[in-house]
Amino acid sequence: MPHLKMTDMNKTYGATKALTSCRIELFPGELHVIMGANGSGKSTLCKILAGSVKPDSGTITLDGRKVDISDPKAARNLGVSIFYQELSLSRNRTVAENILAKDLPTRAGFVDVKAVMAQAAQAFAPFKEVAGDGFDLSARVGDLRPDQRQLVEIAKAFAGDADIFIFDEPTSALDRAQTEAFFKELDRRKAEGAAIVFISHRMEEVFEIGDRVTVIRDGESVSSASLADTTRDRIVAEMVGGESNTGVFADPPQAPAPGKVRLALQDLSSRRLRDVSLTLHAGEILGLGGLHGQGQSDLLRALFGLEPTTGDVLLDGTPIALHSPRRAIRGGFGYISGDRQTEGAITGRSIFENVVPIHLFKSRQHILRRKTLQADVDRVLQILATRHGGTGLPISSLSGGNQQKVIISRWLMDDTEVLLLDDPTKGIDLKTKLELFELIRSLADKGMAILLYTSEDAELLANSDRILVFNNGRIVRELAGADRTRLMLTRAAFEAA
Amino acid sequence: MSGALKPILIAAGLVVLLMIAGETVSPGFASPEQILRLAIVAALLGIVAAGQNLVILGGREGIDLSVGGVISLSALVAGNVMSGSDAGLFPAILACVAVGAAIGLLNGLGVTLLRIPPLVMTLGMLGVVQGLLVVARNGIPSGRAAPVLSDFVSRPQWLGLPGILWLWLLIGLAMAGLLNRTVFGQRIFAIGANEGAARLAGVPTQLTRMMLYVLSGVFSAIAGLCILGYSGSSFANVGGQYMLSSIIAVVLGGTPLSGGRGGYTGTMIGALLLVVLQGLLTTLSIDESGRQIIFGSALIVLLLFYGRSRGLQS
Repeated sequence: MPHLKMTDMNKTYGATKALTSCRIELFPGELHVIMGANGSGKSTLCKILAGSVKPDSGTITLDGRKVDISDPKAARNLGVSIFYQELSLSRNRTVAENILAKDLPTRAGFVDVKAVMAQAAQAFAPFKEVAGDGFDLSARVGDLRPDQRQLVEIAKAFAGDADIFIFDEPTSALDRAQTEAFFKELDRRKAEGAAIVFISHRMEEVFEIGDRVTVIRDGESVSSASLADTTRDRIVAEMVGGESNTGVFADPPQAPAPGKVRLALQDLSSRRLRDVSLTLHAGEILGLGGLHGQGQSDLLRALFGLEPTTGDVLLDGTPIALHSPRRAIRGGFGYISGDRQTEGAITGRSIFENVVPIHLFKSRQHILRRKTLQADVDRVLQILATRHGGTGLPISSLSGGNQQKVIISRWLMDDTEVLLLDDPTKGIDLKTKLELFELIRSLADKGMAILLYTSEDAELLANSDRILVFNNGRIVRELAGADRTRLMLTRAAFEAA
Repeated sequence: MSGALKPILIAAGLVVLLMIAGETVSPGFASPEQILRLAIVAALLGIVAAGQNLVILGGREGIDLSVGGVISLSALVAGNVMSGSDAGLFPAILACVAVGAAIGLLNGLGVTLLRIPPLVMTLGMLGVVQGLLVVARNGIPSGRAAPVLSDFVSRPQWLGLPGILWLWLLIGLAMAGLLNRTVFGQRIFAIGANEGAARLAGVPTQLTRMMLYVLSGVFSAIAGLCILGYSGSSFANVGGQYMLSSIIAVVLGGTPLSGGRGGYTGTMIGALLLVVLQGLLTTLSIDESGRQIIFGSALIVLLLFYGRSRGLQS
C-alpha cells in the first residue's frame, strides 16, 4: 500500500491551469522522481504536499487515511519535509540555527545554545567531510558559498523526524563529492523506510538513484513507471507529448536570409556564464532556451552592462566594453525585463515620462521640449497600438500588457540595434502576447537583431529563428531549421547535463 | 493634474482661513505690514525648503538634516567676510555658496558612493558642522550683515516688496522650470519613483542624486545669507529651527517623504502655512509650552488629513 497518495489534484492560477487531475503515489523506502518540462506543474505539486499552496480540489491520503494539508505546519506534523533552493535560509543567522530553524531546542523558554550546536552537528554530520573551506556551524549563512548554502538547506530538510522528503533541484550547486554524500544520505533514509520525492533535470542522476518516475505534462500526470523499465527517450517523449507545438502560437517562422553579423560574443563568462560564444545577425530573433535559470537572463543582463564579464563582445565587428547600462544604451543595446514593476515602469509617473527617457539620454538634450516630443511619443505608441487614455496619465493606469508596450516603445524613439528581451511577456494576457510577438517580428524584419529569452517553451519555439539551449551557464546545443521542435528542445535541455 | 493640485489648494485655503481667523481674534493680524513680515519669514523658510524638496523628491529615503548647520555656517562665514560693508557682499555670496556646495557634495558622496542612509549621513554632517561652528566662533557671536543685504531682506524695494520676496518668486519659477521643463528634472522624478527602472532607462542615478544634495547645500547657504541680513548678525545655531520646518513645509506642500512626485509650488504654500500658523499662535499670547503643543497637534491633524485624501484618490 502506498504511504502517501495524491489523486485528482487540481490547481489554477488565474487563467492558467497549473495542475489538472494530477496523481502520484509514494511508497515507503522509494525514491520517486518527478519529471516535466518548464511550467509543467512539478513545483506546484510539491508545494501542495508541503502545505505552502492550497489545491482547488483533490484528495490526499496518508496510510489510507484522508488528510488535509492546510498549511506548512500541518504538513510537518504529517512528517513531510521539503527542500527549498536557498529560499528558506536566513542569511543573518548561523548555520546551526538555520538547520534547526523549524524546531529550535529550548530550555526554560530560551534557545538552548549548547543543544543547538550539538543537534546541528549531528544533522550536518553526513556532509561534514565535503563542506569545504570556511565552513563552520557557527558561520553566518550569508558568508557561505552557494554550494555550502545548498548543503545547509539539505541538512535542514533532513533535520527533524519526517518520513516524506521533497527535494526540488537539490544538486544544482553541488560538486561531485557533495552530491555523492547527499545520495548516500538519501539511501540511508530510504533504508529506514522514508519516501523521497525528487525533482531533477539531470537525467544521469535520475537514473543513478531513482526507483520510480512520474512524468507530468501540462499539469497532468502522464505516466508512472519503474526507472528500470523505461528509457531516457521515452521520458522525454512523454514530457513533450504527441503534438509538436501546443497552444495558440504559430508554426516556427521560416528562417530568413541572414543579414550581416551584428553581435558576436567570444568566450563570455561571468558569475553565472561559462564561455558563451554566439553570433547574432541583423534581422534575426535568436532564442535562448533550456530549463529556467540556466544563464539565459544572466547573458542578457551581462550584455546590458548589469553584470561584470570577461571575454569579448563585438558589435558590428568593433569590440565594445559593457560596464554600465548607459554604455550599453549608447552602443545600441536595448533591454526589456519581464519584471515591469521593479525594472521596467517608472511607477507613479506618466506614460509620456515613461516613453522619453532613452531618447532624452541618447539625444544629449537638457531642455525637455514636451510639445516637440509629443508627436514622437504618439507615433511610437501608435506603432504598438497601445491603448491609453492620454499620455499624461500615470503608467499604472494601464494593464500589464499596455505597460509593457509603453516600455518597449521607449526603445523605438531612436534606433536600437540589438534588443535584449528578458522574458518580456511575463504575466501578460494571451492576446497582447501575440501582438507583442508580432511587433517583435516586425522589428526584426526592419533589421533589428533580437535576443529573446522567454520562460514559455512554446513562445520560444514559435518566435525564434534559431535557439541556443543553455545548461548551467553554457550553451550546450543550437537548434536551427527543422530541429526547432518541442521534442528537440526538451531533449537538449534535459540531456545536456 | 488634479491629484497634484489638491494638496496645494488645501494648503492655500488653510492659509486664507488662518489669516481670517487671526484678523478676527486680533485685529491687525492681516494688516499689509504684518502680511509682509510673515511673507519674509516664509521666504527664508521656503528657500531652505527648496533644497529639502529636491532631496526628498529624489527618493530612496532622501532627506537633508544638515540644512540647519549649513545655514548657521553660511551666516557665520558671510558675516565675517562682509563684516558690515557693502563691498564685501559679493565675496560673501561666493564664499557661502562654496561652503554650502562643499557640504552638500560631501553629503551626496556619502549617500551615493558610500551608500550611507541619508538620515544618518546628513545627521552626522550636522554634528560635524555644529562642532566646526563651536570651534570657529569660540562661543562669541561675530560678523555683521552689510546694510544692502539687510535692506534686501527687510525693506520694501521694488513695487513695495522687499528683494527677498522677488528672490523667492524667482526661485519658485526656476524650480518649476527645472522640475518640469528640463531633462534633469525628469531624472529627479524618475529616480524618486523607481530608481532601478530609471537606471535601466539610461538615467545617471548616482550623479543625479549627488547633485540634489549639492543643490540643497547651496539653497541652505543662500538662506543662511538672507537670514544674516534679516537678523543683522549671526548668532549661535541661527539655522537650527529650519531642519524640521523645512521638511514639514515640503510634506504640507504635497511632496510625500517617499519622493517621486510633488513639486515646489506646493512647498511654497506649505512654508506660508507653517509661518502663518506660528504667527497666529504667537498672536494668541499663549505661553511657549502651550504654543508648541498646539503647533505639534495641528501638524499631526494636517498630515493625517493629507494622508487620507491621498488614500482616497488612489
